[in-house]
Amino acid sequence: MTSPLESTLIAENADLRARLETAEETLRAIGGGEVDALVVESVAGPQVYTLQGLDAETSRLRGDMLAQVSDAVIAVDDDDRIIYFNAAAEHLYGVTASAALGRTRSTIHGLRWQRPDDAAAATTALRERGEWRGEKIHITQDGRELNVESSITVPRRVAGQPASLLVVIRDVTERTKHEEKIRFSEIRYRRLFEAAHDGILIVDPRTRKIIDANPFMTQMLGYPHDQLVGKELFEIGLFKDQAASQEMVRQLTQENEVRYENLPLESLDGRHQEVEIVANLYDEGDCSVIQFNIRDITERKRSEEHVKLLIAEVNHRAKNLLAVVQAVTQLTSKYGNPATFAARLTDRIDALAAGQDLLVKSQWQGVELSDLVVAQLAHFEDLIGARVLIEGPRVRLTTAAAQGIGMALHELATNAAKYGALSTPAGTVRIAWQITTAATPAFAMSWLEEGGPKVAVPTGKGFGQIVIGRMAQAAIDGIAEITFGESGLAWHLSAPVENALVLTEIGTIDEFAHNRPC
Amino acid sequence: MLAFAIEDMLIEGGFRIAGVARNLATALAIIESGVCDAAILDANLSGVSAAPVASALALRGVPFLILSGYSPEQQPSAFSGALRLQKPCRPDRLLRTLRGILPDQ
Repeated sequence: MTSPLESTLIAENADLRARLETAEETLRAIGGGEVDALVVESVAGPQVYTLQGLDAETSRLRGDMLAQVSDAVIAVDDDDRIIYFNAAAEHLYGVTASAALGRTRSTIHGLRWQRPDDAAAATTALRERGEWRGEKIHITQDGRELNVESSITVPRRVAGQPASLLVVIRDVTERTKHEEKIRFSEIRYRRLFEAAHDGILIVDPRTRKIIDANPFMTQMLGYPHDQLVGKELFEIGLFKDQAASQEMVRQLTQENEVRYENLPLESLDGRHQEVEIVANLYDEGDCSVIQFNIRDITERKRSEEHVKLLIAEVNHRAKNLLAVVQAVTQLTSKYGNPATFAARLTDRIDALAAGQDLLVKSQWQGVELSDLVVAQLAHFEDLIGARVLIEGPRVRLTTAAAQGIGMALHELATNAAKYGALSTPAGTVRIAWQITTAATPAFAMSWLEEGGPKVAVPTGKGFGQIVIGRMAQAAIDGIAEITFGESGLAWHLSAPVENALVLTEIGTIDEFAHNRPC
Repeated sequence: MLAFAIEDMLIEGGFRIAGVARNLATALAIIESGVCDAAILDANLSGVSAAPVASALALRGVPFLILSGYSPEQQPSAFSGALRLQKPCRPDRLLRTLRGILPDQ
């Protein structure tokens, strides 16, 4: 039964013995002239020195160094059989030196060249110069793939023929992986920088000069990249002057971030933009940089302005409409029968609403008269085409005309339903309009009732009468005539075209004289 | 509609109507004829700004007030200094304001 101390001693002893054996083998190999070169690690990589003609003492010294080296060293004879295999090689390939000696290299590791012509290049280099250094891939017996840097020399020549090879192998797998990670990272972040839809400027805080700018920035400013680098911010119009620029850096240094919500920026080619700037101070190794993120908010500002205008306009129109309702209320009350006030007012507001709908639908670009007639005769829509005939060309009314004629039509319809042609089953109404081609073109519209009960000329001046008379003609600065003939009420309205109709840009009227029964 | 209602209000209030203008030309013509002692303006006349009317009135020393659906911030500077009333406006307030800007007679 061995004590822990004894076990430790036994293990250490075995280890020392193994190391001694390796060292002895190395020395023997060197002493026996089997090793012809020495590898010394230097900053530039493994350096190979030939050992020919060394005395025993120096050989031994160099042998010691060879054993210590962390790069794998393999020497082979003419038949590619391993005649030397150092400790690092044992470690790298997982094969002991005693197992490796006498075997060919291909039994120790697989080989893959990085580029197809490397193999030929290596052979040529070895033949012509006696040495070759390059990268390749070694595959170990347990399937590991290693990126290696190899340094191969031909240490001894006989009549120009390579006699044997000395190979020094450095495992650079970790380094290669790391480099690749960095490369992909660089690709990714460079892509972000290049493709960003915001301007990015990198500035040196000490000199306040631009170090780098992304493509979007060069586009925003109108300066090519090489004209931005090295310039100070105020030189490209980002700050007013050097003092302003200095102040910004000072603030930034203190607070690490500076934000400008709304700055005007003029590009080299005179484009005016509104921008939002955020500046941050970052550490980059042992110095700092300022990164500016610049966003073009011109469009956003324009939209905001537009929305503000629209809201104001909506407010204005709403107030106007309320004023009209107020007026209608006043006048309905003053000129009407108190008993029917609520009903009449409701009806009239309804008519206003119908007119308003059409105004909005046409976006205040002009209401189609036929649409207006149909809207104000909504109660009688099933009579349209039969007892109610509508005829006239396609014309668009101005807002004032639409409001005046709309209300007039409402009153005429209400009146016809109560006392006129639409109050009996036999009565008819003909609504027509045209543009007369007199010396000065005029807009003329008429409402003719027939077959209704005998009409009596109204005595009082109801509000309805005022609407179809004075108000209608005032709306278009024209003339309204109301007659009560044998057959029924006749209403005529006329005015110069430009007072009532929306004319197209070239000053003509849309689809002149096109009769369309609805 | 509004103009008629205002006309009505004014007649009830004992005023005489010198004229009702729906466009710039008519308005300026009425002012030229010198018959009006005061004026009530809408901020715009058939889509056109009434600023020239305001100037013409000011030139002749005719007092006026502005009736508009636009809030004060939205109205052009030509009207600044003139008395402003917002639509919709109560009849009594309109009459009171109008009497206020007329010279005592």
